[in-house]
Amino acid sequence: MTDRDIILQVLAGDAEAFALLVDRHYDRCARVAFRILGNREDAEEAIQDAFLRAYRALGSYENREHFSAWLTRILINQCRSVLSKVRRSEALFIELEPGLMGGFAAQEADDGSWPDLERALARLPADQREAIVLRFADDLTYEQMARVTGAGESALKMRVQRAFARLRALLPEVSRV
Amino acid sequence: MSDVNFEGRVQRALRAPVPTSAAARDAIMQRVREAARDEPPTRALPFHIGRAGRHSLIGVALAAGIGSITALSSLAPALRDVPLRATSSIVLGDTVVDRLRDTLRLVRLIFDEPAARRVAVVGDFNGWRSSATPMVRDARTGQWIVTLALHDGEHRYAIVVNGGRSGGALSGVGRVRAYPVLHVARDAY
Repeated sequence: MTDRDIILQVLAGDAEAFALLVDRHYDRCARVAFRILGNREDAEEAIQDAFLRAYRALGSYENREHFSAWLTRILINQCRSVLSKVRRSEALFIELEPGLMGGFAAQEADDGSWPDLERALARLPADQREAIVLRFADDLTYEQMARVTGAGESALKMRVQRAFARLRALLPEVSRV
Repeated sequence: MSDVNFEGRVQRALRAPVPTSAAARDAIMQRVREAARDEPPTRALPFHIGRAGRHSLIGVALAAGIGSITALSSLAPALRDVPLRATSSIVLGDTVVDRLRDTLRLVRLIFDEPAARRVAVVGDFNGWRSSATPMVRDARTGQWIVTLALHDGEHRYAIVVNGGRSGGALSGVGRVRAYPVLHVARDAY
């Protein structure tokens, strides 16, 4: 059964059929959202909202593109929305005096250990992180990425190259292996 | 490690599955079922405008009409998200707040710093925008007071003193005092 068949079934009134789309695309969405947002809680929230938006908008899905690409575009918008909320919060706390921090938003301790990939990803500029995740966690072509993000293909290639360069600088221990 | 090896290793790591929970998938379907009860999705009207210059004025008018209906329909889910079960309304400052049946609670915050020129509360509930929720100074006590209508649950918040500006960023002269989680629940107050 294709995604299109399932969508027609849902539009005919069988909401439970949507679970097939969730099962089929959840893991891929989880890879993308987790690696863009950096934590499971925000990723699950973004995925949940993306699927719900997709369900509500299913009537306007016109099969001009793969359902997966359409869903990814919705998911990326959700991730950007979450990131902008997080950024506002972090921008606020970055100027806090440490003694006033209370019991949350504590700064990460610098224990001298080398960051792993997830932590290194979190330190990439958002556009570079989004590009490298879509390219490899979601296996999109640059043409598909351009449709999802609205950016040009050459700009996206540059972002991926810069992301690799930055990761290499952030993961020197791995680079030396 | 060569560039090729390094990039290959990063690519493999990015493609690796991440742990997921069945509960998260169940939560999606739970929300889908709720949405299906409220407003199941239906196929959009088939509507295609021909090449530019080939449609008539009547066609343009029809297009505008359908466009308006579509726009209104797209707003409908957002409107339906607001529970239509307000039992009464109260006035906070110049804002009318619907009091909903057990869904919102009024929480009064008092900040004691009479010398402050400007105080605001920011948090999860207002997008951390320092212009969104100013506190009002009580002329008698000098305390800064605001009443918030919050859903049950945990809310992170902070008080911005003299330093807020619109957009959530802070000027250099202000101070922020952050507090742990604010718990809102029926039995908490």
